[in-house]
Amino acid sequence: MSAAQIRFATLWRREVNRFMKIKKQTLGAPLLETFLYISVFGAALGTRIKQLHGIDYVVFVIPGLIMMSFSINAFSNNSSSILQQKFQGAIQDQLSSPASPLELLLAFTFGGFMRGLIVAGLTFIVASLLVDLPVDHILVLVPSLFLVGFFFSQLGVLTGVRAEQFDDVAFVQTFVLTPLIFLGGVFYSATLLPQPFETLTHFNPIYYMINLIRYGFVGFSEVSIALSLLALTAATAALFAINLRLFSKGYRLRA
Amino acid sequence: MSEAALHIKDLVKRYPTGVEALRGVSLEIKAGEFFALLGPNGAGKSTLIHCTTGLAQPTSGAIEVFGHDAIKDYGKARQAVGLAPQELNIDWFLTVEETLDYHAGYFGMPKRERRERTKELLDTFSLTEKSDERTRTLSGGMKRRLILARAMMHRPCLLILDEPTAGVDVELRLELWHYMQRINQEGTTILLTTHYLEEAEQLCDRIAFINDGQIVGEGTSEELSTRYGVANLEDAYLALVGRNELSRSKIEAVQ
Repeated sequence: MSAAQIRFATLWRREVNRFMKIKKQTLGAPLLETFLYISVFGAALGTRIKQLHGIDYVVFVIPGLIMMSFSINAFSNNSSSILQQKFQGAIQDQLSSPASPLELLLAFTFGGFMRGLIVAGLTFIVASLLVDLPVDHILVLVPSLFLVGFFFSQLGVLTGVRAEQFDDVAFVQTFVLTPLIFLGGVFYSATLLPQPFETLTHFNPIYYMINLIRYGFVGFSEVSIALSLLALTAATAALFAINLRLFSKGYRLRA
Repeated sequence: MSEAALHIKDLVKRYPTGVEALRGVSLEIKAGEFFALLGPNGAGKSTLIHCTTGLAQPTSGAIEVFGHDAIKDYGKARQAVGLAPQELNIDWFLTVEETLDYHAGYFGMPKRERRERTKELLDTFSLTEKSDERTRTLSGGMKRRLILARAMMHRPCLLILDEPTAGVDVELRLELWHYMQRINQEGTTILLTTHYLEEAEQLCDRIAFINDGQIVGEGTSEELSTRYGVANLEDAYLALVGRNELSRSKIEAVQ
């Protein structure tokens, strides 16, 4: 391995090591939460709702839950990790190393991505054991999951870099992300909503992400897949470009 | 390549708040020197160190580490520098051994070399028994040892020690002095900041006084005493900060 490869592998290993050391909190809790959602919405509500758009209700919900677990875990890992290291001052050890802004950004990004992927993967495995979960369009599902994970990893990095206290991170997660995810159609179809809420849902970017993942699993979507993929790719690339610029300028990282 | 280990020219650092921490600092430390930078709190010592190691971005001026521009060629410049900062900026999630291993990884050191170097430095700094302990459980003195060991991990040519003996007991201070002298004799250039003037006098070849963001005097202890027309380095320091009335020789003369 070259020096640059060793450096990047170590930066990434540090991020993975952090969440693996507190896996009850970083992996166990999100899994339990997802299991509770499946139990409540699938087993309890599912007996009343039966089907949505010809799909068993619990199967309709699970793709959204997988997307939700991937996104929230990717986000919260990166935002917390960066803010904690800023508080401890430990980030100075990485900032004073020869690592480039791109190496630092990618290492932080992939840390959260890995955590999101593990939780989403375990959710998929558990859900597959409980219900018959199809994978209808794997060529849409894999890039969509990758883009969703990468997007929220980037958003976590941006929030962590900008944050000056833990309240700043909690604010974004509690008052921005959670409402957008819950109102983005994880548990229902937007077509069931009365106006103006159905139209308003179309202004929620997470609605399109949920539909992409749902299409990948069960082959049903309320939006254009091609346009959604294009918009998500553009948004992810834009966020990455912003973060790279912030890391290059040392914004709130270097004095 | 220049013979200087550290060459600083007209360095200015203005923070966004408008505070000018460095006001045109020029300084040269020769390869192999043991150099002390002395000055009151807030004089600009840490800012100068942060600009050299990439933790702060200079407003203007030039910094070269062994001929490598610290801004344009930051990879090579930082590779040559080891920093033991004033703050105990250790990662709470890591063990003692991981702290050293990860640091060396950030500097691109291969695994086998990291393992050998970690073992060697754990032994040198009497940390072997603590190697598997989480860093947050260490005493202040142990943390100070760890920070110094971490700075040495990648075998830097220029070691920057920002108040390394602040708050440590007599025994550890003497231990650290012996170690610093030894590695300096082995060829490592050392830049030391300290508030213990006898430390600078005993260990260092040359001394610079910094006050209000400017280098106001530079030379050997004797040269500085002569320049300020006083008997010793402490009185020269007091003359620098304008507190001659605190001079012990004057107080004794009055008594």
